[in-house]
Amino acid sequence: MALLAANNLSVALTRGGSAFPAISDLSFQLEPGKILGLVGESGAGKSMIGRTIAQLLPSGFSVTGGTLDFAGEDLVTMAPEKRRRLLGRDIAFIPQEPLSALNPVLTIGQQMREHLARIGKTEPARWREHALAMFAAVHLPHGAELLDKYPHQLSGGMCQRVLIAMAFASRPRLLVADEPTTALDVTIQARIVKLIEEMRQHEDTAVVFITHDLRLAAQICDQVLVLYAGRPAEYGPARDVFARPAHPYSRCLQLASPGMGSERRGLFILPERMPGLQAIKTLTGCRFADRCPNVVAQCRTSEPPLAKVDGERVAACIRPEATAAIEPPPAAAHAKVTGETVLEASGVSKDFVTRRRLFRAPATFRAVDKADFVLRENEFVGIVGESGSGKSTLARLVVGLESPSQGRLTLLGRDVTANRTSERAFRREHLQIVFQDPQSALNPRRRVAGIVTQAMEAAGGGTGTERLERARALLDEIGLAPETALRYPSQLSGGQKQRVNIARALCALPRVLVADEIVSGLDVSVQAQLLDLLLRLRQERGFSMLFISHDLSVVRYLCDRVLVMYRGEIVESGPTETVFAAPSHAYTRALLASVPPDDADAAWNRDDGGDLALVERA
Amino acid sequence: MTLAAMPRWLRSGRVLIGLLILLFVVTCALFAPYLAPNDPNEQNLIATLLPPAWADGGDPAFPLGTDSLGRCVLSQLIYGARLALTVALIASFGAMIIGAVLAHVAGYFGGWVDWLIGRIVDIWLSFPPVILSLILMVGLGTGVQNVILAIVLVDWTRFCRVLRSEVIVVTRRDYVAAARLLGFSHWRTVTREIAPATFPLLITLLSLEMGVAVVVEAILSFVGMSVGADIPAWGQMVADARQNIYQAPWNLICPILAIFITVFGFNVLGDGLRRTLDPRLSQTERG
Repeated sequence: MALLAANNLSVALTRGGSAFPAISDLSFQLEPGKILGLVGESGAGKSMIGRTIAQLLPSGFSVTGGTLDFAGEDLVTMAPEKRRRLLGRDIAFIPQEPLSALNPVLTIGQQMREHLARIGKTEPARWREHALAMFAAVHLPHGAELLDKYPHQLSGGMCQRVLIAMAFASRPRLLVADEPTTALDVTIQARIVKLIEEMRQHEDTAVVFITHDLRLAAQICDQVLVLYAGRPAEYGPARDVFARPAHPYSRCLQLASPGMGSERRGLFILPERMPGLQAIKTLTGCRFADRCPNVVAQCRTSEPPLAKVDGERVAACIRPEATAAIEPPPAAAHAKVTGETVLEASGVSKDFVTRRRLFRAPATFRAVDKADFVLRENEFVGIVGESGSGKSTLARLVVGLESPSQGRLTLLGRDVTANRTSERAFRREHLQIVFQDPQSALNPRRRVAGIVTQAMEAAGGGTGTERLERARALLDEIGLAPETALRYPSQLSGGQKQRVNIARALCALPRVLVADEIVSGLDVSVQAQLLDLLLRLRQERGFSMLFISHDLSVVRYLCDRVLVMYRGEIVESGPTETVFAAPSHAYTRALLASVPPDDADAAWNRDDGGDLALVERA
Repeated sequence: MTLAAMPRWLRSGRVLIGLLILLFVVTCALFAPYLAPNDPNEQNLIATLLPPAWADGGDPAFPLGTDSLGRCVLSQLIYGARLALTVALIASFGAMIIGAVLAHVAGYFGGWVDWLIGRIVDIWLSFPPVILSLILMVGLGTGVQNVILAIVLVDWTRFCRVLRSEVIVVTRRDYVAAARLLGFSHWRTVTREIAPATFPLLITLLSLEMGVAVVVEAILSFVGMSVGADIPAWGQMVADARQNIYQAPWNLICPILAIFITVFGFNVLGDGLRRTLDPRLSQTERG
């Protein structure tokens, strides 16, 4: 019998007397010991399901129909008292942000003890023993020391393991994991996912795994449910969904993320965005129709029901047989770049003072160690590595936000190491940075036109009309409507903000762009649009780029050469294809092994990542 | 203007109540000669300690009665609003300017500049503020401009300390780094990128500070360290009424109520502005 079963579950937002559907007619069955993957872009309603299970819906949202049965009892109509007893014991949660889920002012031990007392599975006197056993089960080394530490003293991966230990401490029958690895490094992701699988096998726990990564879901889940705008698009065995998607949306999602397979392919660019709650209400016909490459007139007349495709698989499409015909565009070949060198770093190091000491040299931490690299004209070079590997520090050195402790930086043949005033102006003219988080990188109090033409403002030139003209031209170039010029950043979507962010850096026509994780945290469809934009801009106006990312598949798609950083050192560099096909450094191999393979049937051999447990800083 | 077209901060109940109260006090101050029934300094020794007009033995010529020297209480209250508001407005702006400039300098540049300004604020704050202003008044002598100066010199630290941390938060945003990398000068970065973000907090602090200034002025005039006896002041009225507290409680209650209502107006306005202008508060907290 199914442990968790949704029957035509609907959730809606009620505002101003009318209801906006957030989840419509969702049905699934989850058996004990199985993993169900919920996949979709942000706004698809994935997290809403986790929140419905906990009955923690945001204000205004409520279940409007159907049932959500846990072990035969409806969670929606259950008495709150009874549900509270289930939550944390029979139903456990792993959150997305491990650091914000732990109380920063209590030690791990205090929080463990509190949790164990609450679930009442151990005698209070033996909590310590129990906690250490749980830590051992999640492969946390030095458990006893860990109990006295505070959350901020641990890395994100370790915090996530503590939370997994807590979640499994009560031997739950159901585990809800909401993007448990999104905030973590790829190498850690592989281990966390493995851990969840292991615990599931030992305890026969059913898992609801919420993720935006279809490839990851295909690897670890038994079944996958693809959500689009609150409605199930496709539901079936994970391997089938991934190997032969029946719904065009599943296929497009798959093709929008760059592959790691042997053949490099182009990205499928899904146009526009998913309809929001307001738009869904007025939509007739298939919700995906506006973005669907296979759309026919009939799609817009009525909403297609979930129909059986093959075996146990259902899809909400009237022409599932046409889905396989959706093909990605051919990949743009990596340029053979032989142009002149625009940027060169030789032996660049950066030490940070960690502690000042009286009468002695201060204690330092070497964030970047003797980095050597060149960037040629029109070349895109990727820098990969996990967090703390020094890749962001290297970027800050290059743009002049930090000064190197040692070594030399040369931009267009001119030494810019010392970062004097005259050099600063020169650097500014030829080199610009695109920041990671568009939320923080765009002043919320300025209009888009003002933001993208800041370079003109700095130069002291340009009347209001001139700047508006320039802003419109720039926005046109990056694919935004000219009206956007008068909007504020808060009125734009995440992808649009990142485009504005890029436009600002391009305003001064720099020769070199430094991009720090500019597509992480965005949906794959938006990511594909931005990657495409960068390639197109290079073709149109020509510039070089240092592209920092933790996502190997993105680097493989975009960059001509790649530098692998590990603990502040560049351990490997070379043409992207060569490095990825035949990695020579052990760390590069571990990094590559931690990426789920493209082919759902291929075994994901993560044992290469085994020694990475040692890498995590205790 | 329809409700929806008004700026959000004007739609808040607290802001409206605060503004209405202050509008009333400002009207009293501006039109005191037309509103006051009598000359506030004119003594009438045959009609001392009269109760309010509606009580037994009240005189309709003195709606709120008279004090021990036979001066009209209502007229003194109305004229007293002039001093209270003058001090509140000028002193708060003065304190704000000094505090805000130092806060932006400290928060933006950091390093030893920040250290130095931080230590000065620490030392300043370790003096009890009322004692400090009393000492200043002794040194400076009485007079409106000296009351204002004393308040400015004491209260700039409030602005400096609170704003500095806000400036630091904003300075760490990527858009400030982006502006610097695009070649903005320090001056332009602070005025165009940072100051607009700290402005809401500044307005809120300013409004609260005005309330504080009213209280400080009342304290100083209560102990006779504010202005000369010829200028009506609420604090002085409280001091005068102390002797006859049992015979004429109204003499005491009226100025206290005036101080209370004015300070309440400033505080409610400040609180309302904080709730509507602070971007960190979520929609529900604004309620």
